[in-house]
Amino acid sequence: MTNLLKTMEINLGPQHPSTHGVLRLVLELDGEVIKSCTPIVGYLHRGIEKMAESRSYLQYLPIVDRIDYLGGFFNSYAFCDCIEHIANVEVPEKAQYIRVLCMELNRIASHLLWLGTFMLDLGASSPLFYCFRDRERILHIFEELTGQRMMYNYFTFGGVRWNIPDAILDSISVFVADLPNCIKDYENIITNNPIFISRCKNKGVLSKKTALQYSITGPNLRASGVALDFRKSNPYLVYDKLNFDIAINSECDALARYKVRISELYSSLEIVRQCLDYIRQSNDEVINKTLKPVILNIPDGEYTSSVEAPRGLTSCTVKAGGKNPYRVKWRTGSYYAVQLLPELINNSEIADVMAIFGSLDVILPEVDK
Amino acid sequence: MLKQIYNSILSLVIGHLTVFKHSFKKRVTLEYPEIKPYLNNKFRGKHEFDISKCKACGMCQKVCPANAIDIIKDENGLSEYNIDYSKCIFCGNCYYYCNFKAIKPSNQFELATSDKKSLKVTYKKLENTNE
Repeated sequence: MTNLLKTMEINLGPQHPSTHGVLRLVLELDGEVIKSCTPIVGYLHRGIEKMAESRSYLQYLPIVDRIDYLGGFFNSYAFCDCIEHIANVEVPEKAQYIRVLCMELNRIASHLLWLGTFMLDLGASSPLFYCFRDRERILHIFEELTGQRMMYNYFTFGGVRWNIPDAILDSISVFVADLPNCIKDYENIITNNPIFISRCKNKGVLSKKTALQYSITGPNLRASGVALDFRKSNPYLVYDKLNFDIAINSECDALARYKVRISELYSSLEIVRQCLDYIRQSNDEVINKTLKPVILNIPDGEYTSSVEAPRGLTSCTVKAGGKNPYRVKWRTGSYYAVQLLPELINNSEIADVMAIFGSLDVILPEVDK
Repeated sequence: MLKQIYNSILSLVIGHLTVFKHSFKKRVTLEYPEIKPYLNNKFRGKHEFDISKCKACGMCQKVCPANAIDIIKDENGLSEYNIDYSKCIFCGNCYYYCNFKAIKPSNQFELATSDKKSLKVTYKKLENTNE
């Protein structure tokens, strides 16, 4: 009884603009201090896994882009890779390079959006506009290439739908040359800003042990000092032929997660440059036509494909059986980050909730699926 | 302590100068709807359907993830072709896999309406008057 009088329970969300979707947090407050937090998810559940069972592989392919709408290429790739492995089909090398190019540009776009919205959560509005302005250039490139800005449907079973025209390669080159200056500008505004540092330094400390216990992956894990990047540890596509560094920081706080993502922008740019060089020289096919997507008759089998997405490890398990998948299972990074939230925000002040939550880069469609 | 204050002031000055520099850059927004955005020929907007090319093979219906296409056949072949835009997710499968190029994407993207019935588009074959 005394406890009830002392503390107050409030709902944050599900319609709060800072929750990046529809996340509801039930917070127990003692004054300004959070005593307990219960995340409630499921407001955006669309039954993506169940939808697969009533659709053919080809019908399901456009839907996977919608699991994480900021990283559609990663989901498409994970699903296509499963089908290609079950059907035992080789993907032409040029198509693999195009896939890497698209995914890395997608990672840059995703991190830029994260940077803008994270700064908006902290109360800085100028970086949002600069990040969106630069992200818009990537979206224009994707629109020219695939036909849409976010729901691409460009990767298909056996490769990619069509080759990249030279004009698009040129515009990517111009963008890649311009972006380092833009990132420098963001860093000038943000990195040493005393208000930003006081909001982020030593806030939301995620120790190495906790991160591993909660199965955290991606930039959040690397900001806790664990050098796990699936592009390096289990190289898929052509990542073993590319030179790039993975960003690690062992400070474990929200500031470290910001620094890791900024470094990832540079390493993604490095990968994009190397892919551009290869794609310009190569005259190969971009699709293996032995796999007929419409009359896809793949043998029974099961395969799990893992990909290093912007928000951590995304993996897709497909159990094939006949015309439709028997079962499709998605594992996405944000789901684990939401479960971690009570650990990070207990005993912190209510004003820090959004700074900590924003630094984890959670996206709700990926959580609820 | 003094060094920290100096660094803070310096970073604020650099930050403000950067923001000031950006305010002289070229404007990137468009005055929509007066000025329309540029859309390339791959843009997946509302469909353009050519009924004379359609052989009613049902491929588009088969590959559509949202079941938005409905084909009604009679003894002469295709009699009615319906696209329901309240279901369509604009994935483009119908024209990527059409064998006769009967359906194409267009640049039309302004489909918002207050009348849900108008989202159902029907293409009917012209009656044969020589009968």
